[in-house]
Amino acid sequence: MEFDLGYLLQQLPALRAGLLLTVEASGIAILLSLALGLLGASLRVLRVPVLSQAVAFYVEFIRNTPLLVQLFFVFFGLPVIGVTLSLFWSGVLALVLWAGAFQVENIRGGLLAVSPGLREAARALGLGRAQYLLLVGLPLAVRIGLPAMLNTGVSLIKNSAYLSAIGVQEFSGVAFDRIASDFRAFEMLAVLLVGYLAVVLSLSAGVRLLEHRLQAPFRR
Amino acid sequence: MSLILENLPLFFIGLKSTLLLAAVTLAAATLIGVFFGTLGSLKPRWLRALVALYVETFRDIPLIVTIFAIFFGAPFLGMPLEPFPAVALGLSLWGGANAAEIVRGGIASVASGQAEAATALGLRLWQIYLLVLWPQALRAVLPAYTGLLALIIQSTSLGALVGVTEFLKAGGLVIERSTVMLGINPAFEIYSFVLLVYFLLCSILTTLSRRLERRLASSGQRPVAARDALQL
Repeated sequence: MEFDLGYLLQQLPALRAGLLLTVEASGIAILLSLALGLLGASLRVLRVPVLSQAVAFYVEFIRNTPLLVQLFFVFFGLPVIGVTLSLFWSGVLALVLWAGAFQVENIRGGLLAVSPGLREAARALGLGRAQYLLLVGLPLAVRIGLPAMLNTGVSLIKNSAYLSAIGVQEFSGVAFDRIASDFRAFEMLAVLLVGYLAVVLSLSAGVRLLEHRLQAPFRR
Repeated sequence: MSLILENLPLFFIGLKSTLLLAAVTLAAATLIGVFFGTLGSLKPRWLRALVALYVETFRDIPLIVTIFAIFFGAPFLGMPLEPFPAVALGLSLWGGANAAEIVRGGIASVASGQAEAATALGLRLWQIYLLVLWPQALRAVLPAYTGLLALIIQSTSLGALVGVTEFLKAGGLVIERSTVMLGINPAFEIYSFVLLVYFLLCSILTTLSRRLERRLASSGQRPVAARDALQL
């Protein structure tokens, strides 16, 4: 079987719609997972009783279970106990829960890297712990942890392909559907290869560039 | 709970398949990883570029796409693959890319004076690797490698999508069966159980990984950071 460019061009609109859905799901999930990460990392660093331990357990649990099973749990399991979400939002929720755990650790790592002198200075200026976190700690932690946070975001975009497993018609979902219905594997696999490599490589390169820029003040 | 107990034999079959898949993948990924990781530690630029191409390709393409591409693409090349070997191949190529990155980091972590001293003593290149670099790199890669095994075990769950009866698929079968035969939907209960088993299995490994990392760090050698070398 040979490569049929005409067929590929014909499928472009469907693939573009899939790519848009990938971007949409990933975009929402990245923002929500960052919010979850900020909240979780703050609870951990402020050592809020019970909640801090709960966040620590959540992080361990997510990191030690497969994303695919988490996705199945959200999509097939939660409706049984009355939490019914649409296909799209089930997928987004699973991605948020998954990436959120990594963002908690990224941001917590950033917070722990802020020099203790700043914390003492904030204390001396009369800032409370929550004020220190909001005004001093988190802004600096985000700067320190930004490359790691963005890398998790890139991983999330890549792993949004998992949503095709529950039938979300995102980029890879569309391509797999076409392979099954039209028996044309090469064209679709080539698109997936090029598509994901282009997105992931360009974003990772962007992250590296940003990392370099962010370190500029600390370079001699 | 009784549903889980009644279906323990099926879960056990699934778990065996999961562990077998993980073991095969670990072995193949190690071979690939040592080969490419070593190539990547050699001088020639083009060799490094070649290794980087392999590593980046399989780490940047979603693993689910790699596995589907192999399973659904193989028949088009005239050599259809059974689900198990297709998944094992996909996992090995991805695991091998991660392993290569770990091995390369491990070799780089050995002080450069070691290789120089070995050269000065007249050892050949293969002797330098076999007798000096690999043994020392082994210590540095252990923590990250243990972490990789946990990731591999998690990733074997993708086998469920193409028809390997591994642990996740076993759970799916139990749910299907009870829905058809008993008219109940135990998805919440069963998938909770499946999550829990993966959690127990993998957290043992990640805890071990962290302990190894700490111990190595206190002995003065810098371990390969699992965080940088592994990519989900």
